[in-house]
Amino acid sequence: MAVDSKTLELRALKDKQYRWIDRKWDLVFWVTAAFVVGAAADITKQLFAGDWDFWTDWKDRQWWPIITPFAIIIIGSALQYIQWLAWRFPTGMTYTAVCMFLCTLVGRWLQWGAFVYYPMNFVWPATMVAAAIFADWVLLKTKSFVLTSLIGSILFAITWWISNYIPLAPYLQPAQWMDRVVTVADVQGIEYVRSQTPEYLRIIEHGSLRTFLGETQYVSLVFGATVAVAGYWVGQFIGRGLAIWPIGRFMKKW
Amino acid sequence: MTMRRRYRRVLWAALIAGAMLVGSAPAAFAHGERAQEAYLRMRTVAWIDVSFSKTTVKQGETFTITGTAKILNAWPTNLAAGDPNTGYIGIIAPGPVVLLKERTINGVSAPSRIDVCRGCIYEFSMVVAGRRPGKWHVHPSFSIKGSGTLLGPGEFITIEENPDGFSNPVTLAESGSTINLENYQLSFTWIWLVLTFLIGLAWMIYWTVPKRTVTNLAVTSQIPLNTDGMDYGLITKKDHRNMNWFALGTALLLLAGWIYQAQAFPTKIPQQIFQFAPPQPAIAKAPVFAEVGLGSADYDSANKTMTIQVPVTNTGQTPMDLQQFTTTTLKFATGTAAGPGVMTVAPSATVEPGSSPTMLTLTMKDPIWEEELLVPIGESQLLITGVLVFETPDGQVNYAELEANLKPRFD
Repeated sequence: MAVDSKTLELRALKDKQYRWIDRKWDLVFWVTAAFVVGAAADITKQLFAGDWDFWTDWKDRQWWPIITPFAIIIIGSALQYIQWLAWRFPTGMTYTAVCMFLCTLVGRWLQWGAFVYYPMNFVWPATMVAAAIFADWVLLKTKSFVLTSLIGSILFAITWWISNYIPLAPYLQPAQWMDRVVTVADVQGIEYVRSQTPEYLRIIEHGSLRTFLGETQYVSLVFGATVAVAGYWVGQFIGRGLAIWPIGRFMKKW
Repeated sequence: MTMRRRYRRVLWAALIAGAMLVGSAPAAFAHGERAQEAYLRMRTVAWIDVSFSKTTVKQGETFTITGTAKILNAWPTNLAAGDPNTGYIGIIAPGPVVLLKERTINGVSAPSRIDVCRGCIYEFSMVVAGRRPGKWHVHPSFSIKGSGTLLGPGEFITIEENPDGFSNPVTLAESGSTINLENYQLSFTWIWLVLTFLIGLAWMIYWTVPKRTVTNLAVTSQIPLNTDGMDYGLITKKDHRNMNWFALGTALLLLAGWIYQAQAFPTKIPQQIFQFAPPQPAIAKAPVFAEVGLGSADYDSANKTMTIQVPVTNTGQTPMDLQQFTTTTLKFATGTAAGPGVMTVAPSATVEPGSSPTMLTLTMKDPIWEEELLVPIGESQLLITGVLVFETPDGQVNYAELEANLKPRFD
C-alpha cells in the first residue's frame, strides 16, 4: 500500500532521536508528576467524598456508589485528555489511580495507623485501579472522549463499586453486639472512638431512593454511573480549559 | 561578612529556633474544652455525678464511666436552632486509645444515636476497654446535632501493656464465632488492594517503559484527536491486542473476587442505623418540689469568689437539702469551709416547705472559675448556668436549673 509523504514524515518524527529530551526526561516527568497527580486526585476525593472513603461504616450501599465515583473520576478524566492529546497514551485514568492509591496508602498508614492508631481494616483506602483500566481501555477502543464519557464513565462507576465491594464484604457480615445485630463495620465505627465524628454525622442509608422494591443498591449504582458521566466532563473541562489551553497560550507568547 | 555567609547563619538560626520550638512544646493532654465559650459549656448540658470505676487498667481490661447528663432548658437558641433533637453520648480521647464496648442510656442498650430533648435527663453507663498503652485523658461527651460535641468531666486513665497480648473480640451473629477486630480480614483487604494496584502498575509500565512519551508530542500535535496514530506507529495492533488481554484479565480478577466474597461471606447486611428515644429515668418522673427563680451572680476576681443569690421555693411536704451545684465539668458540694469544690450556703442549705421563696446565697471560692475560663466577661451572654441538686430526707432528688445574671466587676 502506498504511503504518503506526510505519513512518512510523521513516522520519522516519531522515531527521531533527541539529544536532550531523552528517556531520563521521561523518567523525571513520570516520577515528579506522580506526586502532583496523586495529591490532586486525593484532595479532590477528600473534598467530595472524604468520610465515605475513610471508614468502613460509611461505605454504604446508597451514598458511597454515588458520591465517590464522581469525586475520583474528575482528575483521572483531566489526565486522560492530557495524556491522550499529547502522547496518545490511554493511561491518564490508570496513572491517576496508581498515583492516588500510593499517596492515599502512605497517608492512611502513617496518619491514621501509625499516628492515631486506627486499625487499618477500618480505614483502608478504596481502590480505583480496576475501574480506571476499563475507562482507559474504552478510550483506546473508541478513540472518542464523548463515547468514553458515556460508556467508560458508566463502566468506571460499576467496576469501581465491584472492586471495592469485594474487600468490604467481610465487614458487612452481621455481628451480635450491644443486644443488637449490626454489621462488623458498625462495630468498628462505634468501638474505635472517633471523638469529633459522632455517629449521627454518618450520611448513610439516608434519603428517599427507596423505590424499585427496595433495591436501593441498583438505583444508587445507576444514579452513580450517571453522575460519573458529569464528573468525567468536569475533568475534561479541567484538562482542556485549565491545563492545555493556558499552556498553549503561554507557549505561543514565548 | 559575605551575603552567602549571612544567609547561611540566618538559615541555621531559623532551623535551631524551629527545632527548639518543636522540642520544647509540651504534649497536649486535654481536649480544648477551655477554648469553648463559657455559655456553650454552662447552658447546654449539665453533668451530674460522673465517675470512672478505675483509672488504671491493662490492655483489654474494662472500666466503666457512669453519670447523668441533663440537657438544660436554658439551651441557647443559637445552637441546633434552639431545639436539640438528636444526640450521641460518647467518649472523647486522643484517638482510639480506648474501645467503647457497651453503652446503656436510661437503662437500655444504646449502641448509636438517640432522640434528645430540652430538659430531658440521661443516665448513662459506658463500659470502656483499654487499647493503647499510655496515660490518656478521657471524657464522656454529649454530641448534639447542630451544635457539636460538649465535654463532660475528664479523668486520666493509665493503660498498661498486657503481657498476655491484646485482642478485640467480637461475635459474628450467624456463625457465633469470635473474630479479633484489630486485624480481622486485614490480609485479604491488603492482598486485594495490592493485586489491583499491580495490574495498574503493569498497565503503566507497558505504556511508559518501551515507549517514548514527551517526544510523541511532535507527532500528536499534527494529527486529529480521534485517532490512535496507528499509521505512524504511536499505537499498534499489538497494543490493542495486549490491552484487550489486560481488560479481560481485570474482568476475570473482579469475577474471581466476587465469587470469593460471595462464598466466604454469604450473609451480609447493610450498615445499621438506630435512633430511638430512651425511656425517661425514674428521676424525671419524680415529683417536682424544688423551684428555682432567676438569680444574680457576682464574681470577685480579687478573692476568686463567685457569689450567687437565688430565690428557692420548696413546694413539697418535707424539708429539702441543697446538695451540690454543678455546671459544665465542675461540681461544688455543699459544705461549711470555703475552698475549692465547696459551696457554702446562707442562711441554710436546708429549705423548709412553703409557698414563698427563700433567698439563698451560694458562695464558691475557687480559682477554677478563672482557670476554666468560666467567668464569661467579654462574651455575649453574661450568665452563670447550671444545676442545683436538692434531696429530701426520704431520698427524693430534684435537679433544678439555676440561671443567674452575672454582674461582673471590671476593676
